[in-house]
Amino acid sequence: MRTLQRMFIALSALIFTLQVHAIDVVELKQKNSNKVVIKVRFDNGSIVDPADRKGLTYATASLMAQGGAGGVSYPDIQDMMHPWAAAYSAAVDKQVTTFTFQVPVDFADDFYPLVKNVLLAPDFNEKDFSRVMKGQQNFVDQVVRASSDEDYSKFALEDQLFRGGNMQHLKQGTSASVKAITLDDIKAHYKKAFTRNNVSIGIAGNYSDAMLARLKKDIGDLPDTAFTAGSPSKANTADGIEVEIIAKDGAFGSAIFTGAALPVTRANDDFAALMIANSWMGEHRKSYSRLYQKIREARSMNYGDYSYIEWYNAGGQNMLPPSGVPRASNYWSIWIRPVQIATQLQSQYPELADVSIGHAHFALRMAIREFDLMIKNGMSKDDFAATRTFLRSYSKLYAQSPAQQLGWLMDSRFYGRTDYLAELDTLLEKTTLEQVNAAIRKYWQTDSMFVTIVTDKGEAQPLADSLINNTASPMSYSDLVKSGLSAEVLADDAAVAEYHLNIKKVKIVPSADTFQ
Amino acid sequence: MMKTLNTFALGLWLMASGITAFADPANAQAEKILPYPIYQHKLDNGLNVVTVPFDSPGLAAFYIVTRVGARNEVEPGVTGFAHFFEHMMFRGTDKYSKEQYSAALKSTGASANANTTQDRTQYHMTGNADKLETMFELESDRFMNLNYSEHDFKTEAGAVKGEYTKNFASPYSQINEKRSETAFTTHTYSHTTMGYFKDIVDMPNQYQYSKKFFDRYYRPEYNTILVVGDVTPEQVNALSEKYFGKWQSGSYQSVVPVEPEQTETRYVHLQNGTIPAYFSMSYKGPAFSDSRIDMPALDVLASMVFSDTSELNKKLVIEEQKIRFIGGGAFDSRDPGLFTIQVSMVEKDDMAYVMAEIEKAIVKVKTEGVDEALLERTKSNLKYGYAMGIDTPDSIAGSLSHYIQLTGDPESLNRLYSLYDKVTVEDIKAVANKYFNPDHLTIATISEDAISEDGLGALK
Repeated sequence: MRTLQRMFIALSALIFTLQVHAIDVVELKQKNSNKVVIKVRFDNGSIVDPADRKGLTYATASLMAQGGAGGVSYPDIQDMMHPWAAAYSAAVDKQVTTFTFQVPVDFADDFYPLVKNVLLAPDFNEKDFSRVMKGQQNFVDQVVRASSDEDYSKFALEDQLFRGGNMQHLKQGTSASVKAITLDDIKAHYKKAFTRNNVSIGIAGNYSDAMLARLKKDIGDLPDTAFTAGSPSKANTADGIEVEIIAKDGAFGSAIFTGAALPVTRANDDFAALMIANSWMGEHRKSYSRLYQKIREARSMNYGDYSYIEWYNAGGQNMLPPSGVPRASNYWSIWIRPVQIATQLQSQYPELADVSIGHAHFALRMAIREFDLMIKNGMSKDDFAATRTFLRSYSKLYAQSPAQQLGWLMDSRFYGRTDYLAELDTLLEKTTLEQVNAAIRKYWQTDSMFVTIVTDKGEAQPLADSLINNTASPMSYSDLVKSGLSAEVLADDAAVAEYHLNIKKVKIVPSADTFQ
Repeated sequence: MMKTLNTFALGLWLMASGITAFADPANAQAEKILPYPIYQHKLDNGLNVVTVPFDSPGLAAFYIVTRVGARNEVEPGVTGFAHFFEHMMFRGTDKYSKEQYSAALKSTGASANANTTQDRTQYHMTGNADKLETMFELESDRFMNLNYSEHDFKTEAGAVKGEYTKNFASPYSQINEKRSETAFTTHTYSHTTMGYFKDIVDMPNQYQYSKKFFDRYYRPEYNTILVVGDVTPEQVNALSEKYFGKWQSGSYQSVVPVEPEQTETRYVHLQNGTIPAYFSMSYKGPAFSDSRIDMPALDVLASMVFSDTSELNKKLVIEEQKIRFIGGGAFDSRDPGLFTIQVSMVEKDDMAYVMAEIEKAIVKVKTEGVDEALLERTKSNLKYGYAMGIDTPDSIAGSLSHYIQLTGDPESLNRLYSLYDKVTVEDIKAVANKYFNPDHLTIATISEDAISEDGLGALK
């Protein structure tokens, strides 16, 4: 009888265990490290924001990371961490929220209760709420429009690409939606979307086994709410090329982003082939890619020009791709950094006194034409070999620090891989030129795209007219530069100036009307 | 990979057993903030070579620090030239055209770039340690034999204009330019590293000057080679001799004008309502020194009085919520620079109140000093904060490069952190009294208001 009872108890325990969601843990023990890094990721992100509370996930994570926890006020937490130089922060993207904690090994045990409290016992008090929301409101009201025209055009492109879907809005929300968020909304959202059922853990550095065990146990104590983030919306298909020009007061140049849906991500093996082609065409911040050489190096139209096959966070600050922004809904894009507007050219060079538009139309034509040429001609054998060799070495630089290594491993799991960077190397090694050229033809086209241009009010209408009418847009060089241009550059320019783009719609949007 | 691991193991063994041709800094390492020995070797032509072996299998960071920046732009009409010249360094030589240079760089698989500040220009490549010799070859060729056409020179100026154009979108960039030219009337710190737009537009006409610039500064005595990662000093020194040994030293020394003493508070304002109202208070500070207590004491003071854990932050950001942000600190510079406190407001009308609170906090430090226990916690924060940040070849090289630009000697890092340990409450009181002088203050403001007639702008 007693044996049967034991069996029953054991069986119950087994069933209980099976019912509980298994929490994914990435362990990266580094005994020579002087610190411990913990990452806790929730698969939620801004796509789970309610339609009338856009920015709620961001607000919740911000209040957890910048508010009191476990009954200890935020300034007291900061005081506690100060001598240790420990820190933590939350990063929200479209599909994930990641908390990252870093502490010197010497203080890891003292620090650990904070990790637990931030995640399991956030205070969510009115005072912290008021402060955190002021910052978020200010971002959507002012900062996004005023601090970087480049980032502005990038966010505005996503607004077009995903209009109507859960991927459209800024992770910080909109001016109206942030105003609507209450503290009760945050408390409810925490219980609903920060659960043991959508969490994964990563730990790196010189941590103890005891700390890992505590972390696993404590994360298991998160709310056991059933939660599914749902699918991210797919990018829209544009009717031809659809352009939105955002008109600002006092802009110095025209900042351009353009892109279209891409049905593959790191989860697909084809991605490696696209990576080779994209690197050759527009590797981020690299002088050896084609867009850079054509637009910046030969013509010096701007500071740089790059292309992407996935979201690249904070491109102006990062030289290497950061982790923590995995996405299942993808698009490819071209970043043309600000080019000159007409009034600037007129004021700088007497010989350009008569220009009616700046360089935006020409630059857009040139970038799209380069893609068309790649789609038509494919990559050459030599370019393929050189670029593949480059990427196999370069991708090893993505994850150097413990935090970066952990981040890339956790992103790997998001895409259904174990160690993406190692798998990528194998994929690159196996990829053939034929596969790359087939992938180029399969996934890239330029007939249907979205374009956003952030520019000066005075430039907006002439540029809109030029774009919608496919008016010839000859490059306007200063005499100083023009006199030394090669015949090859001039011939290219002539072809670009008249290059037909399938532009069907051009709309001017006042800056004040964006992200409302 | 095996080969590089073996190389590293051999390097470690050499260090541990003391069998090395160099002075062995490993023995004196215990008390230093950088837990890795810094090996230095000076070539006969004056080029300093710095190696820091670090456990990063297969990876190395290769930096060249050129101690030339906006500070050296002493002639009229050439502001921004050091930065512009950094761009020209990618425009090829007789051996490698710019296209060939790009292709060769790509073949290394490295992350490579360059940047310029007021005191230095820095060229860096981080990548496969097995490609170190290629990196040396490419860099020595352009540092010794740079040769670009006049057309390339004129064309590259457009990229700098593009860089200015992208930066200009931020009102903070605009106020930064105004603050510099208001705080400094004579010294070259009066212009930003980017330079004035009119000078940037005129850059294509400065081809001859660019030749002179290269001849003056791209010489061994202005440069330091710095390699961190899976390398040995023997290997780095041998490559330096091979590729830079024939580099001819020069004799040029730029005379940077001395800034006269400021005698009254200066004001500058930017009318812009697109961002939250903002102000900065910039006091004239000291030049960097790794032997005088002034800069370390100001660094500690900045962390105590103006950081996230400061009383000002607790009162104005957390409690009263009148400001979004406060931060402050002395900018490390070769010549006396600025100690700047920056504040982002919630409401512009509270600016005068917030500034008065800051002044009260400064007076308190001047008269009462600071809390002894907090001082010790702050020292701990500085040390652990540094130690946590150096976890890649790049982060170590970037940190050492900072001190090389300031003094020419990477050991300045270790000396500075040992000075932090020595800072006393009295030192902090003394530097507060010495440097927070209202006559040496420049106040910069941004708000939607037009500047008032008396120059007080948004403070009115």
